[in-house]
Amino acid sequence: MPGLTQPPQAITGPAVAAGPVIAVRGVTKTFGETTALHDVSLTVARGEIVVLLGLSGSGKSTLLRHLDGLDRPDTGTVTVLGATVSRLRGRPLRALRGQVGFVFQQFELVGSLTVLENVLTGALFRVRGPRLGLWGYRRDLQLAALGHLDRVGLLTHAYQRADTLSGGQQQRVGIARALMQNPRILLADEPVASLDPESSAQVMALIREIAIDSGLTVVCSLHQVDLALSWGDRIVGLRHGEVVLDTATQGLSKQNVMEIYGRVTTSTAELGAIETELGTAPDEDGEPDEQGELDLQTFSSARDNRR
Amino acid sequence: MTLTLERPQPGQADTTTLTPRRSQRRARPEKVAAGLTLVVLVTASVVSLISVDISLPQMIASWSNATRFFDRVGIISFPAPGELLYLTALTVGLVLLGTLFAAVFSVPLAWLAAANTSPGRGWMVFARFLGVAIRAVPDVVLAMVFVLMFSLGTLPGILAIGIHSIGMISKMFADAIEQIDDGPRLAIRAAGATRLQEFFSGVLPQVLPSWVATVLHRNDINLRGSVILGYVGVAGLGLEMSYAFKSLNYSLGLGIAVVIFALCVVMEIVSSAVRTVMLGFAPTRHGIGDRLLRRIGVTGVTADASHHPWTYARIRNAVWGTLAALIVIGSIWICDIKWGDILTFWSYLPETAAKFWPPSFGAYDAPVMLAAMGETIAIALAATILTLLASIVIGSLAARNVAPNPRVRAGFRLVLVTIRGIPEIILAIVLIVVTGLGTQAGTIALAIGGIGLLGKLLADSLEEVRPGPEQALRAAGATRLQVYAGATAPQGMKALIGHSFYMLDTNIRAATILGLVGGGGVGYYLLNAGQGSRYDLVTTIVLMILVTVIMVEGLAVWMRRVFR
Ligand SMILES: Nc1ncnc2c1ncn2[C@@H]1O[C@H](COP(=O)(O)OP(=O)(O)OP(=O)(O)O)[C@@H](O)[C@H]1O
Ligand SMILES: [Mg+2]
Repeated sequence: MPGLTQPPQAITGPAVAAGPVIAVRGVTKTFGETTALHDVSLTVARGEIVVLLGLSGSGKSTLLRHLDGLDRPDTGTVTVLGATVSRLRGRPLRALRGQVGFVFQQFELVGSLTVLENVLTGALFRVRGPRLGLWGYRRDLQLAALGHLDRVGLLTHAYQRADTLSGGQQQRVGIARALMQNPRILLADEPVASLDPESSAQVMALIREIAIDSGLTVVCSLHQVDLALSWGDRIVGLRHGEVVLDTATQGLSKQNVMEIYGRVTTSTAELGAIETELGTAPDEDGEPDEQGELDLQTFSSARDNRR
Repeated sequence: MTLTLERPQPGQADTTTLTPRRSQRRARPEKVAAGLTLVVLVTASVVSLISVDISLPQMIASWSNATRFFDRVGIISFPAPGELLYLTALTVGLVLLGTLFAAVFSVPLAWLAAANTSPGRGWMVFARFLGVAIRAVPDVVLAMVFVLMFSLGTLPGILAIGIHSIGMISKMFADAIEQIDDGPRLAIRAAGATRLQEFFSGVLPQVLPSWVATVLHRNDINLRGSVILGYVGVAGLGLEMSYAFKSLNYSLGLGIAVVIFALCVVMEIVSSAVRTVMLGFAPTRHGIGDRLLRRIGVTGVTADASHHPWTYARIRNAVWGTLAALIVIGSIWICDIKWGDILTFWSYLPETAAKFWPPSFGAYDAPVMLAAMGETIAIALAATILTLLASIVIGSLAARNVAPNPRVRAGFRLVLVTIRGIPEIILAIVLIVVTGLGTQAGTIALAIGGIGLLGKLLADSLEEVRPGPEQALRAAGATRLQVYAGATAPQGMKALIGHSFYMLDTNIRAATILGLVGGGGVGYYLLNAGQGSRYDLVTTIVLMILVTVIMVEGLAVWMRRVFR
């Protein structure tokens, strides 16, 4: 069925090539009492590598979910690849989601399936009907999946259960699954927040490499300032659901970013003390924002120490 | 509820957080009502126990009946080996197909009923209610109806077992779906998959082990229950046994009963072995199969990654899959299903339905039928309270944190497993035939049969209580019994109430069925009405059972909520 592998017209039309790949205009989203996003506007051009930076609860995940049509805005519009995501439903929505790869913080693999089977689920939007395990995937799709696994360096693990892999390996499977979609956009929601520094570096490098090789547009949320600065081309800072920073990383220092956030880093001694408490000690007053701040600073200092 | 009004608002001071605590200490009227209901139920059970007339001297006296009975019957006899083998295979095949039928139709129902996959709240409520309603109709009644509509054969039995089992299986399936990790499912949705694809790739792989365990578990229950289907004309060991007893060939009847006993125990062992293998499916690499595969030189991954290698897991899956397929094919073959019946079924449907409607009391008047229903409820209550008393002792001693040592626990667990293997209806039939008593023997049989289930549930619940309070009492120098009474038992109380209601629910259905074999209650009239073609009376009786079961179910839901 060659027709099925072609992306829908609305998405590939020539109009897209000219305009931005992602355009968010005045999006507000509330969940009951909390305002997750407040009047957010943002455009991303083709091939850009954008980092969403923000503390816990600042709305990063919510914004990314809007870009894949997993959440719908209360007001405002989200346009992705020329289609207004917020108005899509059914088949067109699935076709659009197919064009957008998503990498999750918790990997979200089906643990009882093999690595290869997990990667193949990325091709579901291109086939008709359900698939059980490896059954029913065309040979060319299987070979493509193996190719993507090779790309992320996990070919030898193809027939292993996904839950037998390490965290870093699982995230690379997650990336391979996203690549299986042949996406034009890659969204990543704190892809390394559950990984140790070494695997983090590997995974981030891999994402950037792939993005540049395949000319992908990337929006990746992070909460480590240093990583954001060295990794992204552009930083979009969110705070309490509002965009408070949108600038190229070129020439930007960590100090700049922290100042914009209105939080100047404290002495290295204090940072070290915070770092030792990471993961064990709760924040003093129990406010979620403070917890996020801890993360922000500790991860930065962890990177500093390694240099 | 008052609590919701007093929930502390964010930003308000401490005073609000104290209020709910204070109001909890005050006994809520609902709790008082529920407590009173419990007292009434327990009293009713004790009264029932007395009215059913279970007394030790009488049971002992009836034992002389038993010895006389065996003198008269002599040695038990069996059908010819070939026939016995055929009947056994037929019974097992029929039950398997019925369970499988239920499993297949439970999948869409479970999908609708599970909160995380259901397309809407309305669907969810509908599917859950349908499950309860289906469960409320005993399979014997269904079999009775289907025997009318199909030529005598296996199809009525398969359908009766199949439809009745959908109630329980779909509920357990739905609960399993609700317990999955939703992340992977949503990740698959995010990649543009349809709902159906999402289900097959994101849900099914996660629930499969638990679903298989459920189906095997239900299959055991169905095998134990299949005997009674013979009494309304479904082919198999049950039918032969009912013929034997009807023609007063007690030695053959008892022989078949012994075979069914053995079959149930074997099945219980086989299915628990399969369950263990399934649930431990994450490769241990130490199983017998693994060792065997290593010996014949099967390695993990081959050099050529582009072809699916024969890993241990794949070989194991293939072997299990083939075996399951062969068993299903064998079952279909032995059941010799008359597929044409499925077509003619629809033409009979209106005619048959007309026979069942409108309901009426037939030749009896309402008080007689209500008294019979009352007797059934009394049997259920009496059996439940007896089961409860025995289970508290046996179940407690089977709990790790109560038993004085692991050997005692293992011993009582074994007792429970053995009792669970015994089909209570067979027990009832044998007791009724042997002792010559009706209601009493039936009640005792139900009570014994229930211990296997309630005892296990109670033991599991006790093992799950928080260990903190126990340790605190132990640290304060309490004896073993004091720790049990002061910490373990109070924590297990809520679970015990819930399980007891489940038991009562099961027992009401079982007590109905008991009547079919001479155990008293409404079942006797049900069988008579069926055999005398008084289908309007059948409808009346079924409606009475339905109302009772749904009431008990409602009561149980309420109790669970109040004593949460
Ligand atoms: N489904 C939901 N229901 C209710 N509230 C939600 C929901 N999703 C997000 N929120 C709220 O919206 C706000 C933004 O959440 P979001 O997950 O986007 O933050 P985030 O920046 O991704 O944080 P983190 O770094 O912790 O992942 C939070 O206050 C959160 O509690
Ligand atoms: Mg997030």
